[in-house]
Amino acid sequence: MTARGLILALGIALSRVALADQKGDENKDLDLIPPAAKAPSAPSADASIAAAPTRKIYLENATTQSWLRGGIVAVPPPPPSEWQERLLLDVRDQWRLGPDVSLSYSGRLNARAGDRLNFPSHENVTNDLREAYASWEAHEGTFVDVGRINLKSGVALGFNPTDFFKTRAVVEPVSVDPVVLREDRLGTLMLRAQRVWAGGSLTAAYAPAVASGSPIYTDSNLHSFDPMFDRTNAQDRFLLKGSIDLGNGFTPELLAYHDNGRTRWGANLAESIGQSVVAYVEWSGGPRASLIDEALRFGRANGPLPPAAPGVLPDQAHQGLRNELAAGAAYTTDQPKITFNIEFNYNQAGFSGADWNNWFQAGRNATSRSPVAGQLWTLRNYALDRQEPVSRSTAFLRANWVDAFVPKLELTGFVDTDLLDGSGRAQLTADYYLSDRWTVGGLVLVDFGARHSDFGSLPQAGSVLFKAVRYF
Amino acid sequence: MRLTTRLVTCALALSLGSAALAQTAQQIVVATDQVRNPSKPFRSVLTLTEYVGGKERDHDMLAVFSKEDPTTRQFRNLVQYVEPARDAGKRVLLDGHSLWFYDPDSKVSVRISAQQRLIGQAAIGDILTVNLAADYTASLVGTETIDDAARQPRQCWHLDLKAASDVATYSRVEYWVEQGSFYPIKGKFYSDSGRLLKILYLRNFAERLGAVRPTEAVIIDAVDTSLATTATFGESAYQDIPEAWFQRDYLPRLQTR
Repeated sequence: MTARGLILALGIALSRVALADQKGDENKDLDLIPPAAKAPSAPSADASIAAAPTRKIYLENATTQSWLRGGIVAVPPPPPSEWQERLLLDVRDQWRLGPDVSLSYSGRLNARAGDRLNFPSHENVTNDLREAYASWEAHEGTFVDVGRINLKSGVALGFNPTDFFKTRAVVEPVSVDPVVLREDRLGTLMLRAQRVWAGGSLTAAYAPAVASGSPIYTDSNLHSFDPMFDRTNAQDRFLLKGSIDLGNGFTPELLAYHDNGRTRWGANLAESIGQSVVAYVEWSGGPRASLIDEALRFGRANGPLPPAAPGVLPDQAHQGLRNELAAGAAYTTDQPKITFNIEFNYNQAGFSGADWNNWFQAGRNATSRSPVAGQLWTLRNYALDRQEPVSRSTAFLRANWVDAFVPKLELTGFVDTDLLDGSGRAQLTADYYLSDRWTVGGLVLVDFGARHSDFGSLPQAGSVLFKAVRYF
Repeated sequence: MRLTTRLVTCALALSLGSAALAQTAQQIVVATDQVRNPSKPFRSVLTLTEYVGGKERDHDMLAVFSKEDPTTRQFRNLVQYVEPARDAGKRVLLDGHSLWFYDPDSKVSVRISAQQRLIGQAAIGDILTVNLAADYTASLVGTETIDDAARQPRQCWHLDLKAASDVATYSRVEYWVEQGSFYPIKGKFYSDSGRLLKILYLRNFAERLGAVRPTEAVIIDAVDTSLATTATFGESAYQDIPEAWFQRDYLPRLQTR
């Protein structure tokens, strides 16, 4: 055998050994299949889908402990609660009455106790009727809905300028995470028509006024079994919105919203950038007075302010074009998969630095029972009730990590910072999915900042919550 | 006589070899895609069983609506969570660059990135219907005999697939396809950084949607190998899926029946 022949034979032998090793390695992957999963499963029956494709029912127990502090501006009574125990039954379901007609329901029954709630009283049992409506698919892709509907809009996370029906709708949230606030809110009684086709969609909604306005609720004056249309249907409201699919998922949405003789315009844009980033912009604009002026008008018309109460702050009563904007991006890391949202929020009607100075100046010597304190906190509660930032500019950062450190542990944290004074609100939530049916979790909330700042002047310094959830 | 036998053997080997070469790597992927899924729109029910450290942990059930895009030849999927109860009603639209997540609790649709589509079990529905030939360029590594999920030896083409479009979920896929039957036996899915993310075995070949197809997959998390998931196709049926279903605003309207 020649040298060349020897080399060739050796090469072939080595390549066979290498190939055999590779195949051996490939078959080693089979060892990663759990023994319990080695036998093929029988295909499952489809019965549960036919029975309840969208039903969600759960019982949750939540215990909250809060830490209060003596704020720089006295808070009118009632003071915030220090502890609250809450057991809630949350139900969402849908029933088909025929091939084209369905009924939807979503609601929450609460049993509550707390240091600011009388026991026993009607405050211990409340029911939130979030949705109850009928849907009819009049033609393929054309829908008509009537009833109490949660109509939401917006691509942003921390602040939704185009979510026009969010005002006054949030009830007793378990968490102040804006994502959770969207879940704990009342729908609006309305007639909605929608057409969805291959190239876009068009939605028109009319919400009639069926109740007169009411003062801003606190957690100790909620009705027991009342749909609270005074919060959602105190005025006639109209919405028209449409989106068009321009390809590759780019679907800009334009909105027009009308109430109280004013029309606001809005737009939503969301676009993927590369594999890991989604950038988004949400804007609305239209004639509007300042937050201070609107809040005073509201307080005088609906309470708690006397009808002729003079304003303690200089305000801008004139209606002008005022913009609301949320611009941000979501970024998901490769490994581990953590999604970060960073967002700039702008509310032109909100407080400027001068407004804050005036607010603290006016409240310097106010007592909790003085009309001045009542008026100053009405301004801030009004913004909270409308789900809009008090300050003009805020930054919102949120992170979500599924299977954090260990499987089935989900961590969510956010920081909402007032860019005028650097104060903010931070919250960390942990949910552990014990099984398909059980979840336990908790959250820690901290309001930080100087005493003369947006979040630093809040009466609550922080809170912790523990919860256990049983799904059915 | 001996020479004649040798010549015949040689000719036979050559003819078999040329037959194999006649199948280009891309054609093999096209053929095996057709084994996994038909080109007509269909719906399936996926039952997922998750194992942690070898123990059965969670059960998920997804309703998956799949329709091939005639332009890209790629499947567009609508996935609805049926179980577990905490996720019931959540929906994901997976249509090329158009990726949206809808939560019936918050009632909003959120656009998600390609990275985010890999979070959660809906990604499995996506893996099982993806037409690899549409988004990847294949090359033939060689012919190998490997064991299938039941530890039965299968003579396979070993293919190396590189992402050819920016909608490809994974940067690279190694794929083993049985010769003759074009049954997909095994896949390995890699990230942009070359990290092995998932190992996939397909098994339990049986009649489904008019042909013999794999009815179950075993997906091993290669990053955390204590995690594995089996995915079983339940009731599969052809279903007309209107184009409007792939609009973001249709997500709240999706009916699984």
